Amino acid sequence: MSKLATSAPFQHSGRSIANLMNTLMAALLPGIFASIWFFGFGILINIVIAVSFALLAEIAMLRLRNKNFRLHLADRSALVSALLFAIAIPPGSPWWLAVLGILFAIVIAKHLYGGLGQNPFNPAMCGYAMLLLAFPLEMTGWHIPSAISSGELSVDSLGIPDGVAQQQFISPLSWTGIMQAIQLAFPFLQSASFEATSLADGLAMATPLIEFKMAGNSALLAARESGASLIARESETAWEIINIGYLLGGLYLLYRGIISWHIPLSIIATVLALSSLFYAPGSAAIVGTPFLHLFGSATMIGAFFIATDPVSAATTPTGKLAYGIIIGAAIYSIRVWGSYLDSIAFAVLFGNFCAPVLDHYCRPRIFGHGTLSKTSSKAHTAGDPIEP
Amino acid sequence: MSLTQQLATRLFGGDSIFARRIAGGIIAPANKEPSLRSRIMATPIPELLLIPTGTEDSSTIKLLVAAGEQVHKYQKLAIVEVSVGACTSVSVHAPTSGVITSIGISIVADHSNQNQLCIGLASDGLDTPQQLVPVENYAQLASSEIIPQIREAGIIGMGGAGFPTAEKLNSGSESEMELLIINAAECEPYITADEALIRERADKIVIGAEILKRAAKARRCIIAIEDSKPDAIVALQLALENENNCELLLVPSKYPTGSERQLIQCVTGRELSASQLPTENGIVMQNVGTTFAVYEAFVEGKPCISRITTLCGQALKTPKNFEVLIGTPAEFLYQLCGMQANSNQQSILGGSLMGSELRSNEATICKTSNCLIVPGRNELAGVEAEHACIRCGFCADACPAKLLPQQLLAFSKVSDNTQLIEHGLLDCIECGACDYVCPSHIPLVSIYKKSKEKLQERAQKLEYSQYWQQRFQFRQYRVKKEKEQAQPKKLDTPRQSGQESKQESSPQAAETAIISKEQASRDIAAAVARVKARRDEQKK
Repeated sequence: MSKLATSAPFQHSGRSIANLMNTLMAALLPGIFASIWFFGFGILINIVIAVSFALLAEIAMLRLRNKNFRLHLADRSALVSALLFAIAIPPGSPWWLAVLGILFAIVIAKHLYGGLGQNPFNPAMCGYAMLLLAFPLEMTGWHIPSAISSGELSVDSLGIPDGVAQQQFISPLSWTGIMQAIQLAFPFLQSASFEATSLADGLAMATPLIEFKMAGNSALLAARESGASLIARESETAWEIINIGYLLGGLYLLYRGIISWHIPLSIIATVLALSSLFYAPGSAAIVGTPFLHLFGSATMIGAFFIATDPVSAATTPTGKLAYGIIIGAAIYSIRVWGSYLDSIAFAVLFGNFCAPVLDHYCRPRIFGHGTLSKTSSKAHTAGDPIEP
Repeated sequence: MSLTQQLATRLFGGDSIFARRIAGGIIAPANKEPSLRSRIMATPIPELLLIPTGTEDSSTIKLLVAAGEQVHKYQKLAIVEVSVGACTSVSVHAPTSGVITSIGISIVADHSNQNQLCIGLASDGLDTPQQLVPVENYAQLASSEIIPQIREAGIIGMGGAGFPTAEKLNSGSESEMELLIINAAECEPYITADEALIRERADKIVIGAEILKRAAKARRCIIAIEDSKPDAIVALQLALENENNCELLLVPSKYPTGSERQLIQCVTGRELSASQLPTENGIVMQNVGTTFAVYEAFVEGKPCISRITTLCGQALKTPKNFEVLIGTPAEFLYQLCGMQANSNQQSILGGSLMGSELRSNEATICKTSNCLIVPGRNELAGVEAEHACIRCGFCADACPAKLLPQQLLAFSKVSDNTQLIEHGLLDCIECGACDYVCPSHIPLVSIYKKSKEKLQERAQKLEYSQYWQQRFQFRQYRVKKEKEQAQPKKLDTPRQSGQESKQESSPQAAETAIISKEQASRDIAAAVARVKARRDEQKK
């Protein structure tokens, strides 16, 4: 006879942290697959590195803190942090970038603050921010194997390499592509001889954000106007498809009730509102279309997966709405008027700073309290109708 | 009611009642089918009945019988004083005929987990009843005539709290009640006692409701039932066909819609806080079982000697509802369900979300024992490892009192009492919905219960310390005054009559002590004001 719970309630919904994390990881898959399809296995290598080092760090820290590491490892929170972190850093980054970042995230940003449930800041974003501040050059290059062909690179008048459509196309999933991905991740392997792969140092494909910051017009719009196919790798629609993948994953999470709609909706609405407000087509100040801000960057994954990390986010419904607005405003401001390319990490960390204050002030009205309730404290007199 | 109708009623007033959604709430697997497969079974009479009196204190019990006396069925055995508001009493009657054995402490199946004095009754199997006197003109009686009869019959709230029904009706009888709600929304999983009662005896319940309506002087009577009980709903609709005294309202099948304040909010839209009594706001709520007991007391003249109890759980071969005599031991019922009682078998009194573990299988059924669950292996949740709170907020979504359980947990861990009260810990109804949904398996309900106890302890300590502080201050004042009175005498007569002065001074000192009690508080206040003024001056 298995022992009953010590006191009521004796029934449980069956939910556990492991279940939540499993669903979250499943929801990330469409976006990850889209990333691999367009950008090769770089992201997968990052994931493998991040996950393995995250698990090692988690086990080590749990042992140091004298906790039952089997129990706490089983809640899979380290896995999810590692996954989100690996998705955030650029594919093609060297291996030590991922290792440093994830170790910082798990050891310092999570366990040194008290472990699961006690960290005030999103661990994956802490790791990302640390890398961005310490290694800005490596973090802003987006190395894609297909951008480096065996021939010469064609550059346009500004000296910036053109998009994929201009080059000899190598599929990132081919053997060559895989080799290139591995070489990018582990630069010490470059000395070994692999056939026909010569990497040009410092070459990186321009992300849409780099483009809009440095160039005049968004290449995305150009590609769409030319009517190119969405899934073909020659078109520049990679980012959009990836973002749609994360959007679908986020909607699935909403459907399963793992996250609530408050944070994603407020972030997306704020970014949409601000970018629409400041979008001035044809004027000298080019700030990017609303579509770019929503789908050409990491907004979707930030809104659905990163900002909704329950431990560091605000926890009351009104607080969540305010939290989302703050993060959305920060995302837009840092991107447009700040000096960083993509600002999800800093925006989310900024939101994390504000979360305790929001929790304190944005409380729901307790049942029976407050002026909104239609109660009367005086004794009821006969003849007063009960309002339906 | 359709949405347009609801909107129209809200905007323009009107008399229609419709069910609203409660805040939060959960939908848990109800497991109600097994015990509803059969009709209510009348239990055979056990050999020994231990009839609970509801208290351990024998001074509050007025026994009308003695050990060894032969009693008839329905005979009144004792009157127990219950300190509820004004001094009230609850009557205890014999469930069957037999001989009174002894009166002693025994375990009773109720949630307080404390022993009670029980009247032992060895049944003789003959079940000879006392002469019953049904009330003929119950439909014409006034409220002041109905309530004493209800008290005579020993009817208490059978929904679980056991509040004496007569007192509940009495507290509202100065002003007329607006609404009588018959609570037929059995929302907790596993319990089917009320549903079984309704689907077999709906017409009698409606008569009982009318009697209660007259007793409460209520303008309207609404029977609120969950929409997932089809048999019971049809039975009630048939019973209410030619009736225009009571109305039927279907409420959503969510836990805890049947909780008193949640049901009031669902039916009327009004939110009553923990400090507001429904009877002071024009609403009286009674359980269906109580209503049926009222019917029996008036139409058949029977006092309250039995109740419907659900026996369920996978360890029982035949789970069903029983009409149980008060005082039947639990293991007797287990045997009727085809289970051999062994001491290792854990069972739960009440439902699976708010029940408590039964301390012993010998516990006897009292008037509020509505359900006994005997779970099979792995049927109910076991002890799970507790993780840290990840602040996911599922608990806040589930809370029917719109609290923030994740914050209450954080404050409970550091015992921050101010924040606990501000965040509404005292409004927690301990329904267990937050515990049910928590993915970290944190035992939230027990943590809040402990926090509430600590709060109470602290409030008591504060009260005590204030009281003793006042007494100490007065003592200091008194001693000082005595010294002042004594001193001039010493100066006048330096060494002569030390004894005399003492004798003289003490009656005077006593006099000043008695007189200055009223003066003392004024003097102390003046002294405090002086000190404060001096301190303010120093600050400046």
